[in-house]
Amino acid sequence: MYYYIMEPPSSRAVRQTYQRLRDLLTNLGIAGEMMAASPARTPEELAMMGLERGYSTIVAVGGDAFVNYIAQTIIGQAVLGIIPIGEAQQSAELIGTNNMKTAAEFLKFRRLSTFNTVTADPDSLIFLDAVVEPPKLAKVSFVIDGKLRGYAYFNKMTVTRNLEIKIESQHLVEPKKFLGLFSTGGTVVQSLSQFHGRNVRLTTEPDLALLVDGRPVAKTPLQLRLNPNSLKVITKRGSIL
Amino acid sequence: METNGPGTTVGVNVALSGTLKDQNDISVFGMVEGEVISEKSVTIGQTAQVKGPVKGELVTIAGVVRGAISASEKLELLETGKVFGSISTKNLVIHSGGIFVGKCEMPTGEETTEEPEPESEIESGDTPSEETLVPDEE
Repeated sequence: MYYYIMEPPSSRAVRQTYQRLRDLLTNLGIAGEMMAASPARTPEELAMMGLERGYSTIVAVGGDAFVNYIAQTIIGQAVLGIIPIGEAQQSAELIGTNNMKTAAEFLKFRRLSTFNTVTADPDSLIFLDAVVEPPKLAKVSFVIDGKLRGYAYFNKMTVTRNLEIKIESQHLVEPKKFLGLFSTGGTVVQSLSQFHGRNVRLTTEPDLALLVDGRPVAKTPLQLRLNPNSLKVITKRGSIL
Repeated sequence: METNGPGTTVGVNVALSGTLKDQNDISVFGMVEGEVISEKSVTIGQTAQVKGPVKGELVTIAGVVRGAISASEKLELLETGKVFGSISTKNLVIHSGGIFVGKCEMPTGEETTEEPEPESEIESGDTPSEETLVPDEE
């Protein structure tokens, strides 16, 4: 039996989608207990309730940020199922489909895949890619595995569940002026860096929020720790030859 | 930093200090002060400045390296590359324009049988003395 937690519907169309999903799950024989998150009951509270009731699989029905919140609560205690709704691109790529019917069928076949996650101390979890995008070029200092220190200027920084840090920057180098009058034109300098480790400390100037699907999950300064093979997720069923 | 990840890239506006170690490829376009060690390839880009030893299977230099370089298979110094330090590799390629200042070792597995002759300074007009010609016994 599955325990479904549904993200608050953002529109009437999403409410209708949820009704179609209920019918679909019933037809597949995997309709379980369905709970809708609301301001009165957060996704985390609902997930805790599901765990307390003994459910071994909790299904997140919603967007990427919602899926990440549920994963944070159930990690190490239950298997995560996902029905991506709306712009849940990362979740859809993870399980192998953005189609609700297909995702429901995956739940029925229950093929499990194990994924890494990252703990952002003290108690945040990064399961889907988290992004820092300051309004203007900002500085990040980092220490990787206690052995490598560095700093960089960035427009966008991504932290993945494999603790890969991707730092992107694009800035204009001031044009040279001739006789203080004529400029020869500026040059856009692009930089892309990629690091990875098991323990990473990130500090930014100024402090910035780490976002999953536009919602904050943590804030710098951050101590990040890789948790290998820490979350089981129901994903795409393999083909039968 | 050691992992089975996708490799490491140090962008042009990044400065690092410490040990940069990866089981996969490393590409450097910024500044590194410390060791750069890969079990596969190391690429030092044209904008890169590395101060410290570099070690890899295949090492390609287009920037500036001040330190020892060890390439177990091949070392290639491109036309914009500058190396100040010793190098050790089986296979060495230096493109026209590349600058190398240092010692070079190309191990072939053959041991040399001849002892190198000791150097002696002889000023013009001087007759070398017996003490100068006879090497010291260690």
